[in-house]
Amino acid sequence: MASPPRPRSPPVTRAMRARAAASSERIPPDVLFDVLLRLPARDLCRLRAVCRSWRALTSGDPLFAEAHAAAHPGPLFLAKFRDDKSSVYVVDLSGNALKRVAGAGGGPYHHLLCTSLNLACVATDWNRCRVLDPATGAVRVLPESPAEEHANRVNLRNPYTFFALGRVAATGKHKVLRMFNRLGFHNGGHQVFEVFTVNGGDGDVQWRGRQGPGLFIDECSGVVVDGVVYFLTSRVYEGVRCGIRPDYIVSFDLGTEEWRSDLRGPISSNAGDRKVPHYTRGDLSLAELKGSLVLADHREQPMSMDLWFLSDFGNGLWAKEYHIQTHSIISRLVGEYRLKPLLLLDDGRLVFYLAVKGLLLVCEPGTNTFAEVGIRCLDSVGVYTGNLLSLGEGDMV
Amino acid sequence: MASAGSGDEKAAAAAMITLISSDNEKFEVTEATATLSQTIRHMIEDGCTDGGVPLPNVTSKILARVIEYCKKHATAAAGEEGSSSSFSDAAFLEVDRAFLEELEEFDDAFLEVDRATLFDLILAANYLDIKGLLNLTCQKVADSVKGKTPEQIREMYNIVNDLTPEEEAEIRRETQWAFE
Repeated sequence: MASPPRPRSPPVTRAMRARAAASSERIPPDVLFDVLLRLPARDLCRLRAVCRSWRALTSGDPLFAEAHAAAHPGPLFLAKFRDDKSSVYVVDLSGNALKRVAGAGGGPYHHLLCTSLNLACVATDWNRCRVLDPATGAVRVLPESPAEEHANRVNLRNPYTFFALGRVAATGKHKVLRMFNRLGFHNGGHQVFEVFTVNGGDGDVQWRGRQGPGLFIDECSGVVVDGVVYFLTSRVYEGVRCGIRPDYIVSFDLGTEEWRSDLRGPISSNAGDRKVPHYTRGDLSLAELKGSLVLADHREQPMSMDLWFLSDFGNGLWAKEYHIQTHSIISRLVGEYRLKPLLLLDDGRLVFYLAVKGLLLVCEPGTNTFAEVGIRCLDSVGVYTGNLLSLGEGDMV
Repeated sequence: MASAGSGDEKAAAAAMITLISSDNEKFEVTEATATLSQTIRHMIEDGCTDGGVPLPNVTSKILARVIEYCKKHATAAAGEEGSSSSFSDAAFLEVDRAFLEELEEFDDAFLEVDRATLFDLILAANYLDIKGLLNLTCQKVADSVKGKTPEQIREMYNIVNDLTPEEEAEIRRETQWAFE
């Protein structure tokens, strides 16, 4: 019996191998890199199951993750939707859900904190708080027990809490600020502050008690900018002759875990004393845009909003960068009918959140025109700065 | 286009470059066409294109297609420059629009190739650093992959699943959200 013909020897040089691979129907590795770069994160995560080389590229290859982030620069948001309160989603500005982290939403009374980080934080008003890494799905449930020194100062049966999550740039650690006794002044209790390091390691598993700022803060105004939590003062001071201006700002540094020196807002800094009494605390709110603290001054007749950017904390310098007519979007300013500035896009447009309707709106500041983002009704929202393909910065648990 | 330029530009447009494929075929192209490739642009800047540019990773079949693409798009780039710098009235915008449509049609027809050729074009575009061509060809493959299941991808591209059942089950558990 004749022996079968010897198979042709395989190509030997690198160039020959590359050509051989390319002229078959298979995708050459270099092509794979360039092609997968152009797919959204959701497809990539699904296609990890194709084979080993696809998995290697799409789960944690730092070169690929970086190139992918550069190729998809659009802003991402964290979202909880009113029709699915058990999940946290990562969505883009077109309203597409890129990722759903099932079960991470906590429940109907957990809301996303309005952060601008690579982590998400969902919390209730009654002392439940968890931190989530949307890329890995890892969840860290924070302890409910108070710091030792506060054991007798909080009502654990019926707590009423506020949380804020921020990142300390110097150490890269994420910390949560917790405040008990939200009602404070009204029910005679003192506002009690504590700090928790999320990725602190084994030694850091408890809340640490911190001093208060010396006056009552309005926790609803709380906003985190570069590891510092800023607050306006409580409305109990409104109209009271106590010398506290409506735009007076106190801030807590998550790095040093101390309160910083107080800050005068732009109204009392720039408007002169005469005009300040015309302002009430209710006209003002805080936000974070392009890494700066922003004070939004909501006016009526006509409905509009001034955005003041803090340019220098030490010298208390503010600059009014936007005056936006909002009457086309909202007909009344009272209470919840208020636009929250969420993000400044690279092209100069502003993204606002209209909480009462669960809507995201994109505003063209030059023309005061608003476009609705086609997205399911939001329960709560934040900005996501992380990379869905990365495997996380550090172990949260 | 060259008639609109100055004498110097004419000279530059007329400068020819010789590209040599892996199978030793020579292609004469204008500098404007060749410099759509960043790789060749750098070679020209470094003055090392005398006697031709050898491209050992690109066959004559693929190089011919690449040059076809570059010729078309180099004309487009020259046209754009001309109109944006000196003219802006509606007639010229209309010409631009018609030209862009024509370019789009060209790109669509250009992509009507078999899969192996498409991959070769991607490798060539990557090696020669021609951004537009790389985008065009990669997007074509990316679109074919989008929305497909792992099984469909394996079948389409003859990929052998070398994951163990345990590994695959784990990936599916972790990425359940992406299958919904």
